[in-house]
Amino acid sequence: MRTFGLSEFIFLLAAVRWTLLLSLVAFCGGIGFGFLIALARVGRFFILRVLAQAYIQVFQGTPVLIQLFIAYYGFAVLFDLRIEAWTAVSLAFTAYSAAFLGEIWRGAIQAIPRQQWESAECISLGYFAQLRYVILPQAFRIAIPPTVGFLVQLVKATSVAAIIGFIELTRAGQLMTNVTFQPMIIYPIVAALYFVICWPLSQFSRLLERRFDATRGITQGL
Amino acid sequence: MFGHRARRCPHFQPRMRYVFQFGIVADHTDELIHGALSTLWLTTCGAVGGLLLATLCVFLRTAGPKPVRWAIISYVEVIRNTPFLVQLFVLYFSLPALGVRLYAEQAAILGLAISFGGYATEILRSGIEAVPRGQIEAARALGLRPFKIFRRIIVYQAFKIVYPALASQVVILLLGSSIVSAISATELTAITNSLQSQTFRAFEFYFVAAAIYLGMAFATKAVLASLYWLMFVRGREA
Amino acid sequence: MKRLVLIWALAAVVAAGTIMTANAQSALDRILKDKKIRITAEVTSPPFGILDKDGKPDGSEIATAQQLAKDLGVELELVQVTSPQRIPALLAGRADVAISSLSITLDRAKTVMFANPHGALSIVVTAPAGTKISSAADLSGKSIGITRATLEEATVPKVAPKDAKLVFFDDIGATIQALLSGQVDCASFSAFAAKSVADRNPDKKLENKFTVTTAFYAAAVKPGDFDLLRFLNTWVWLRTRDGTLAQIYQKYTGVELIALPTF
Repeated sequence: MRTFGLSEFIFLLAAVRWTLLLSLVAFCGGIGFGFLIALARVGRFFILRVLAQAYIQVFQGTPVLIQLFIAYYGFAVLFDLRIEAWTAVSLAFTAYSAAFLGEIWRGAIQAIPRQQWESAECISLGYFAQLRYVILPQAFRIAIPPTVGFLVQLVKATSVAAIIGFIELTRAGQLMTNVTFQPMIIYPIVAALYFVICWPLSQFSRLLERRFDATRGITQGL
Repeated sequence: MFGHRARRCPHFQPRMRYVFQFGIVADHTDELIHGALSTLWLTTCGAVGGLLLATLCVFLRTAGPKPVRWAIISYVEVIRNTPFLVQLFVLYFSLPALGVRLYAEQAAILGLAISFGGYATEILRSGIEAVPRGQIEAARALGLRPFKIFRRIIVYQAFKIVYPALASQVVILLLGSSIVSAISATELTAITNSLQSQTFRAFEFYFVAAAIYLGMAFATKAVLASLYWLMFVRGREA
Repeated sequence: MKRLVLIWALAAVVAAGTIMTANAQSALDRILKDKKIRITAEVTSPPFGILDKDGKPDGSEIATAQQLAKDLGVELELVQVTSPQRIPALLAGRADVAISSLSITLDRAKTVMFANPHGALSIVVTAPAGTKISSAADLSGKSIGITRATLEEATVPKVAPKDAKLVFFDDIGATIQALLSGQVDCASFSAFAAKSVADRNPDKKLENKFTVTTAFYAAAVKPGDFDLLRFLNTWVWLRTRDGTLAQIYQKYTGVELIALPTF
């Protein structure tokens, strides 16, 4: 019987990079689409506002595990496509991130006082120019701490990909448990590895909060 | 968008080959309802247990000796910086080695309560810090004992301030309860998994499960909102 | 601002274009052209699929997959799956062939196309020596660990008494853990898996209580991949004749392969 040793620990460490890679891909994708969602949400067109709101409600109102199951099981079968595992999982987490980041940035944009918009209009800037030169730079400052906070939530969320057998840190822990039969050592180590990734990010987010002196975001995902 | 593909492969026709059969889902309504009720039960137990735990922790964090304070800070930081799934695995798979054997439902409720307790402690703490200091000083001047001050003045007002954040966290807990399916606890996701693996109708079942969760999330928000009204608004001055 | 939106839109379109692949050519042609075959690998299902001491996939089904890739003259890509993911990975196009001890059942035959079987297994209920179980009726009042989307999930609930507590896991590894830690009174696996777990944990004194059913398992392909199916049938027939498949089976299970039927 194998016992947990250096080679098993290295197996866990190697899996950390998949967790980080998935989180990063979903985060960057989420920033892009989340930005569009936020713009749609605060924009002038009623239909876009409604669609964006519906999108956010759906992704914030359903479990990330179910979203992942739908992406992994159902989506490709619908349209007879061939989607690789990575693509399906990345898309699912990107869509998840886009909803949360969109909501965060909506809040940031709406926190800018109406006067800013009006002043920008007074100096004859168009809607997009108002956004770009006046509103967004200010909203950016407010949005950064909760955005970094969300990255922690995202890294934790990627652990559910283990349930569908996707190789990342939690799944690696399950696999090592299966060969060494020592879950009392392995799962606390997996938890410690996540802690090492997430805690610095959490502290960084708090530091940014204090510096930017913005309203605290105190709820967090599981 | 498919232009270049169509030119290279003339037979390429994206089409829906899948035939939806939601009728099969309707046949299993009873099981799905049982799952939804289990989810609500787990969430309620986890939220109530977690809230009690959090109230105790936040009291100890402000009024307790230094090692206890450090222990609670560590507990909160560990919960907030590790995934819920891994916490469940530790409770369900790692604890037996120390002689503590929990059944799936017990581990699920314990996990949910401990997790909710971690976040709620932090939320309550920020609420307590938001209570105006003048109130506490006035209470001390009136000669009230620390615990009474805590209970009557601090907790009530802190709770009112952070109620929205706590309510959001309860909804997050509701959705997070789907993860307990991984340690075989019975709730909506676990039952959906079983049903779809037996009938091979994955998309229909998960779609309906998502809709049920969405419904439960909305219902929970509505119930919590009315609770707020009952507790803090009705019959009181603003 | 407009340029940024445009760049993101373009990126989205390009991404969409790269993930969509035409299903026009036959699966076999595509595999031979791309020189790559993707086969499911369940690595928590001893002895069919395990991780060896270097963390590399190994086991009888994985060795079979390697043999298939070698005979096709293409590169093998193993798609790691859990039990419930074996068929969905196939249907979603993440794998070309599923070789992960998929027992042939009627329900599965409705969603995938099975090749001729290349192995046989039996499903048993296993528990520590102290637990008295000699037939399905003795399961009354006990908790049984079962893995989802397996043959045991399809058969054990039908024979278990009403007051037996069925506990479902998403992964064979989790079921094994639950049995070893005593969270379930007994569990149901293939006889080979039960033997593997018993051998690696002699202190638990696990023994097989009774056999639930026996079955043949086979490779499976997505409905519509007829030429790939035809090739698989031919391959299984050839490799059964020259004993290669029997050799792989014996090496990992320690049991001689019985005569395989064809259909």
